[in-house]
Amino acid sequence: MSTVAGNVSALGPWALLFMAIAVTYLWRGLGTVIAARIDPESRFLQWIACVAYGLLAALISRIVFLPVGILEKTELVDRLGASIFGFVVFYLFKKHIGLGTLSAAGALMLLVWARGQGIL
Amino acid sequence: MGFRDGFSLPAFMVTASMLGYGAMVHSAGMSLPIAIVSTMGIWGLPGQVAFIEYVLLGAPIASMMIAVSLANMRFLPMSLSFVPLFRGSKSGWRWRYLWVQLMSVNTWVGLMRRVPELEPDQRGPFYAGFSTVCMIAGVGGVSIGYLMAETLPFFVTVTLVFVNPIYFAFVFAAMRVRACLLAFGAGAVCGPLIYLLTPEWSLPISGVIAGTVGYFADQLLKRVRG
Repeated sequence: MSTVAGNVSALGPWALLFMAIAVTYLWRGLGTVIAARIDPESRFLQWIACVAYGLLAALISRIVFLPVGILEKTELVDRLGASIFGFVVFYLFKKHIGLGTLSAAGALMLLVWARGQGIL
Repeated sequence: MGFRDGFSLPAFMVTASMLGYGAMVHSAGMSLPIAIVSTMGIWGLPGQVAFIEYVLLGAPIASMMIAVSLANMRFLPMSLSFVPLFRGSKSGWRWRYLWVQLMSVNTWVGLMRRVPELEPDQRGPFYAGFSTVCMIAGVGGVSIGYLMAETLPFFVTVTLVFVNPIYFAFVFAAMRVRACLLAFGAGAVCGPLIYLLTPEWSLPISGVIAGTVGYFADQLLKRVRG
């Protein structure tokens, strides 16, 4: 179908993918089963939500600081600068998610393009 | 109405971020079917990104499963608050195990927003239309992103990959729940640091540390400020 990375076998990704889908549905299904039986305001669930958000933040922050894959070929200062620029716009426009995303992405695109052209 | 709601900002954001995911799968050297099936099956970008990153890292399977499930753990509290909305309707309730598969941050917010004006019997059809549009937008985005990744210049591809994480950073930074925001900040700080210590296990460990810090910091602030 397409290129297969050296360290990933042809069968490997599919087996891993179906396991990933199963563990994801576990949360959805579990929530559905116990929806009738648990208080959605309980402290345990609040803590669970915090763990989820902490983990997502760790993932995003790692991708900016220590990326794996294609982003690895960009400069840290570019990724960081674009993120900070996006956050400035985001807060200037009363936490506008769309504008923040567009600004950060636009800034990175400009920086990477400028480096490719030898301007930076 | 569900269809119409789907064609606004949520569908646009789904398409844009899935464009990035498609490009990411391509840059990881995996196939288009993997990109599409992982999108429809996991249907949660952070979990999808964790899945791809872990395949790239070649990390232990147990670590990957924990990371993917933890990255999608929000689906538990989300479905807990979401499923009871269909309780007043026989047909809506019958399909609840399908509704939670179609649930993403986007479709969850999309339904919550409309709940006050919808009768219980209208929620199922509304949600079905809305989430179908989002799913089609997602699969379309992933396919286009994947196929375009080969023809696009480097600065565009790299930006599409960057759109994913940065979009979520803003979605979460816009949250109003202080405990989650604190956990989010703590995770952003300890994520890269713990990654330097143990790349394979950094996500689950960071999640528990940052989540606990955020939860108790919030409790402490409540006590201090009364």
